[in-house]
Amino acid sequence: MALDIEFLIRTFFVAASGVPIALLVTIIALLISIPISFLLALTQINEIFIFKQVSRVYVSFVRGTPIIVQIFIIYNSIPLMLKKTFNQLGYEFNIESIHPVWYAIIIFTFNTTAILIEVFRSSLQTIDQTQSEAGYSVGLTKYEVYRRIIIPQILVSALPNLSTATINLIKATSLGYAISLHEITLKAKVAANLGYNYLEAYIDVFLVYLIVCSLVEYGYKRLEIILTRHKQKEGVHIA
Amino acid sequence: MLNISGVEKQFGSNKVLKGIDLNIKKGDVVVLLGPSGSGKTTLLRTINFFERADKGQLIFNNEAIDMSKASGKEIYNVRQKTAFVFQNYGLFHHKTALENVIEGLIIGRKVPRNQAIKEAKEALDTLGLSDKYNHYPVSLSGGQQQRVAIARAFVLKPEIILFDEPTSSLDPELVGEVLTAMKLLADKGTTMLVVTHEISFAKEVATKAIFMDKGVILEEGIPNEMLTHPKVERTKQFLKRVIPEEFIYNI
Repeated sequence: MALDIEFLIRTFFVAASGVPIALLVTIIALLISIPISFLLALTQINEIFIFKQVSRVYVSFVRGTPIIVQIFIIYNSIPLMLKKTFNQLGYEFNIESIHPVWYAIIIFTFNTTAILIEVFRSSLQTIDQTQSEAGYSVGLTKYEVYRRIIIPQILVSALPNLSTATINLIKATSLGYAISLHEITLKAKVAANLGYNYLEAYIDVFLVYLIVCSLVEYGYKRLEIILTRHKQKEGVHIA
Repeated sequence: MLNISGVEKQFGSNKVLKGIDLNIKKGDVVVLLGPSGSGKTTLLRTINFFERADKGQLIFNNEAIDMSKASGKEIYNVRQKTAFVFQNYGLFHHKTALENVIEGLIIGRKVPRNQAIKEAKEALDTLGLSDKYNHYPVSLSGGQQQRVAIARAFVLKPEIILFDEPTSSLDPELVGEVLTAMKLLADKGTTMLVVTHEISFAKEVATKAIFMDKGVILEEGIPNEMLTHPKVERTKQFLKRVIPEEFIYNI
């Protein structure tokens, strides 16, 4: 058995053409889930009863089930619910016309929010109480204390975990093939269907994810170096 | 200027403050002495509402506030007129020395940025930190950090600065520089309430000394008199225990 090198190279670009959709889903899911999960993490720290319980249950549901199962449940339940609602309202609406990217965004936002609640909760706990008290003592309001003192420090301490969550999310978008989202994995699989070159296709998929994830990881590392100047011993700010 | 009366505070079943009265006039430097667990720090924190007193009244410039029921607005107003120096410095880790000092001026007091920077630099210069403007807290020694914290408090021109054991987490070698900084502030007429174990500071700088134990004030008076001839037996015991061990700093 020999690898079909020509197919391998050609399909690499096919797989790579799925990168934009994978990144789109990743970025939108992150943009929505970062603020929501931060607020929910705050409710856990500040012991706001109902929110705290709800977000706890939510986190354990999401963490305790495989993403693929969450995908199937949401993908199968949302159309049914929508169909019923639209029928009751008397609208004609073709559920099949909804682009799978919408489902992907919903599913991955739902999933990432749960993971980031834990990320933010643990970094909120690393900020000692004196930081906020010092803020109040110089006349800042609660909002200003959060915006200017707490959040900038939390983002920095959450960065390594945020990086891991982002990479996990990018990799998880490969499960989008199950709902016919035309991302990296599905595109390569389709290309392989023709001549049964699955090994080559999967090697391409492997390489594409490896490259994308490495770049994202590198980006986070750079960001971390820039944002943690104040933690370095010779920390002098160059204006 | 600042008058508190009948302050009580309980943590669980532990009554930490059992009815404290205190009167501070403009320009006073009051030291609060007492063994650990006597309630000194808690008292200081109730004045700035970091702890909520169960009972008590606070009169600040003739404005009376019920300490157990003060609204957010009232608390905000008190904090606008006071400043606090913490035991573990409490500098904002992600900001340089200069940024730490201007934060309260610009955001808290709404001073224009240029003026805030000018005032902050003056304060840092006064406290011997003119070469540390752009240093982050992590690259400063404990004594330098605490001096930045003192500059941050002083620059706000508060009516009173509350000091919570400002030298307790410092290496013995660095205590002197912080006490000198505090003396400098006192010489400029700053009103201060200081929780401390530094007997030398109490003797040389303070205008009034207060001895607390188990949530009550046992004795108060002019520092030199009280420290050399305490009237109450408990104060005597405490001073006997503290003074021989105490480093006497030349400030």
